[in-house]
Amino acid sequence: MNRLLLLPLIGAAAMHAHAQGTCATAIPVSIATYYADQIDGPEAPSPICSGGTPATMGRWYKFTATADTSITITTDLPQNGGTDTRVQVYTGTCGNLACYAGDDDSGSGYTSVTSFQVHAGTAYYIAFDNRWTANGFTFQVKYSGPGPVVDGYSTQYVPTNGVAYCVVDMNNDGLDDAVSVTSNTITINYQNPGGGFTTTTLNTPTATNTPSWSICAGDLDHNGYNDLVYAGSGVSFMLANSTGTGYFAINQPEYIFCQRSNMVDINNDGKLDLFVCHDVQPNVYYLNNNNTSWAWHQGGLGDTPDGGNYGSIWIDYNNDGHIDLFIAKCRGAGSPASIDQLWRNNGDGTFTDMAPQMADMADYQQSWSSAWADFDNDGDLDVMVGASSFTGGGHKLYRNDGNTFTNITPGSGFDLYNGTNIEFIARDFDNDGYVDVLGGGMLMKNNGNMTFSPVPVPFSNGPTGDLNNDGFIDVQNGNTLYLNGGNGNHWLKVITKGVQSNANGIGARVQVTTPSGIQVRDIVSGDGFRYMSSLTAHFGLGSNTQVNQVVVRWPSGIVDTIANPPVNTTLTVVEGQSGITTGIAATEVEPLSLFPSPAHNTLNVIARKDLADSKITVTDPAGKVVAMPGLVRGTIDVAHLASGLYLLRIEGPSGVLSGKFVKE
Amino acid sequence: MAPRKFVLLTLGAMVAGIAACRKDQALSPDTLPGAGSGSPVVLNLDSVPYAKLSDYHFFEGSMADMRPVQGVLPYTVITPSFGDYASKFRFVWMPAGRQARYVADHKALDFPDGTVLMKSPYYPHVLPENRRRLLDTRLMIKKDGAWIFAEYVWNAEQTEAFLNMNGVNVPLTWADDAGQAHEEVFHIPSLGECQACHMDHDQRTPIGAKPQNLNTTANYAEGPMDQLAKWVAQGYLESGYPAHIETVAKWDDPAEPADRRVRAYLDMNCAHCHYDGGFCSYRPMRFAWHETTNPVNLGICVPPQDPFTPGVNYIVHAGNANRSMLYYRLSSTDEAVRMPLLERTVRHEEAIALVRDWINAMPDTCQ
Repeated sequence: MNRLLLLPLIGAAAMHAHAQGTCATAIPVSIATYYADQIDGPEAPSPICSGGTPATMGRWYKFTATADTSITITTDLPQNGGTDTRVQVYTGTCGNLACYAGDDDSGSGYTSVTSFQVHAGTAYYIAFDNRWTANGFTFQVKYSGPGPVVDGYSTQYVPTNGVAYCVVDMNNDGLDDAVSVTSNTITINYQNPGGGFTTTTLNTPTATNTPSWSICAGDLDHNGYNDLVYAGSGVSFMLANSTGTGYFAINQPEYIFCQRSNMVDINNDGKLDLFVCHDVQPNVYYLNNNNTSWAWHQGGLGDTPDGGNYGSIWIDYNNDGHIDLFIAKCRGAGSPASIDQLWRNNGDGTFTDMAPQMADMADYQQSWSSAWADFDNDGDLDVMVGASSFTGGGHKLYRNDGNTFTNITPGSGFDLYNGTNIEFIARDFDNDGYVDVLGGGMLMKNNGNMTFSPVPVPFSNGPTGDLNNDGFIDVQNGNTLYLNGGNGNHWLKVITKGVQSNANGIGARVQVTTPSGIQVRDIVSGDGFRYMSSLTAHFGLGSNTQVNQVVVRWPSGIVDTIANPPVNTTLTVVEGQSGITTGIAATEVEPLSLFPSPAHNTLNVIARKDLADSKITVTDPAGKVVAMPGLVRGTIDVAHLASGLYLLRIEGPSGVLSGKFVKE
Repeated sequence: MAPRKFVLLTLGAMVAGIAACRKDQALSPDTLPGAGSGSPVVLNLDSVPYAKLSDYHFFEGSMADMRPVQGVLPYTVITPSFGDYASKFRFVWMPAGRQARYVADHKALDFPDGTVLMKSPYYPHVLPENRRRLLDTRLMIKKDGAWIFAEYVWNAEQTEAFLNMNGVNVPLTWADDAGQAHEEVFHIPSLGECQACHMDHDQRTPIGAKPQNLNTTANYAEGPMDQLAKWVAQGYLESGYPAHIETVAKWDDPAEPADRRVRAYLDMNCAHCHYDGGFCSYRPMRFAWHETTNPVNLGICVPPQDPFTPGVNYIVHAGNANRSMLYYRLSSTDEAVRMPLLERTVRHEEAIALVRDWINAMPDTCQ
């Protein structure tokens, strides 16, 4: 196999640090990972900044800052297995060093972690000693403050605790948060409305399963706050309380060799269920009884006796309004367990595997995940099925031609792309209106004509979302956020709030029409292999400054249409509340209700958000602003408006709400 | 961490070998009588797996003592698989008049229908009683030319083991020979886990019962004896197998060179997935004993396909264990990272040290 694309990345990460044994011969290091063979240099670090008594030998490095920021030196890395290190950090000159930072045992085991401010142009000496052991170890130098922009992405440090696989809105403020978990804590970096994060660690009851294989999120019990499911050797539910400030656990007793997990309303009863890929047996799902308990089921959704189920994703491939299931599968020895499956939801509670009828979709390719998106913006979802190994065939790109798929890999760019990975996801990273693919250490940029070109990115796959609310997709890799610097392209984000349907609108189809045409997204809980990414639908709009309409087709069958939402904002659509609703009538008020409709002189405005300091505009169907009324005791005066349909838009510190009403 | 000493107790258990005669049981027409005269084991292939382990009559006296009846032969493998430091009893039984046949040094014996292979993990000292505790007894039964699995989970009273194929977690604390307590959740595998390892292409297969693993001297009640010769004498193996068998090393024998010890360990613990007919054949490693004479099959200087942790840039980075995926994954207890993925929840410290030293002693030829 040709590994030309991979090797430079590996080389960059694999620098050996042949440090010298004295301050004067310290070797320069930068933001990277290094390996120190042994601590055998004659100059022991002095003074001791970490506390404790001096050692007899040392190992010296030198970091020269290129920006005013902060960095972290850590030996708390899995490959060190808790090895016993100690580190000192100095400024000054050799022979005249001044303590600047240092650490002995802050990391797990006896590892060392120290973070400190650095100033551009200043050199910092980093010295390890043999106080506890002279054995070799790996250490990492990384940014803990804003780092430089690489390939258009700046880095930002966030504290994490345990498994950091999840970016989703946890406090229901419309902003994505970065979540990490252990068996008894949930650490949430709540995104502040003005930027930055407020970090909180909540203690939870013990989860007997942790999300080592995957995590998924959604408001399982429809109480307004997202819940989590940890998928390991079985599943543990972590359900948020009514204020999102505490969690209780449901530890399911069944053994499952979990892989990808998803929250989805499998039986379309309006309540979120859980689906879990089983590595070695038929797939498993838990149906929601009453929003307080979930019942184990196995059978009917991928029953290969020995499993091979790795990457499930729930999307509507045939645009019939029923949520279908694609399973990326993998297994050695030519086993049929590696044959991917496309389960069509027949709408009557049964599913049929259609993959054998879809070109060569049902082949022996070794895949752990697939990236679904409407890559050609023709209104149906195409798919890139990524190879984790080329032993069963390469990457595959399929164009959706209505009810069939055509393999269009040759010439697409994926035929030449030789990065393998277990993670492939579809996102529009450059907001050009064409959805790209991330996986295999490279961003495959959609050229707009169903061909893709590799673009280097400084991150690997991780959970994604908009972590600085600028309308561009960001990526988390552990403690590091890669914040997309963006460009001049416009965007729209859509938050779907289910009423009759599940709370997150998971399974809803969102269609955006601009002068350039249409784009669609399905709301998905759990894509790629193990990470959970934002539930907010993200649309890059290219140069379009206008959105003609947004149509949300809910799992319930309700269709909401919002005309002319402004660009570069987040639009919250509440099921049945758009003013132009077809299908079943709405019954609940949340979070914006406008009535009566038609209105005569006064329109009542009820919102769950604080509307103080909001700007209210009324526009006609052509997008022309016809009034900017004030809000008086929850009402606005519409007496002077001509008869017709209007959009009311409320823009305030906590976001944007909009709804339609009719003036008689 | 206190030093751990891995003690292979299977051989000791084998001394329990010879069983007293038992009164013959009435046989239904379709049951298979045991080998030799007077084996009380009866096996009706239409009825297995039975609901309880005692239904097979493999043992006499208190079943938890694992004293085999006549015809149930204890056996040992030179390098056993690691299972969270559990010790294991291993037994084989075959119907009268049927014999296993040699296929190849590195292939499981071709066993006759009605064969039962049995493995019972246990800890000698489980706290607070400081008593032996059997966790489960795993049966592979050859039926109609194919193997079926039967997993029996021992009750806490150690009076019976019940058929359960769903996977069971048993929290316990065991003490090692130095008296150090170890807390863990022992996982008894589900059917799916059994067949994840015990598969050769589309056929279920034993892993340990290969000539390369059995070709050693074992201790029996009547004294030490060549194990394969004993199987022939028992009527369990056709004679005429090759005089020379390419035999695995004993992984913890300090007299053996490190590479042979490592290769033996990888063969028993890893090769059932990482070979052409295995669960994970799509990754480049080939860890079977007869394949690891080729350094590429060991992953030496071969980049991992899924480089999921920075800087660990070869499967085996010659001279640098810290940058070797093999060492990284053998060292991990994260269930999505650790290798083997199954049968291990704790670190096997002695094996990790062996692999580390073996890698670090290599000249760095990868860069």
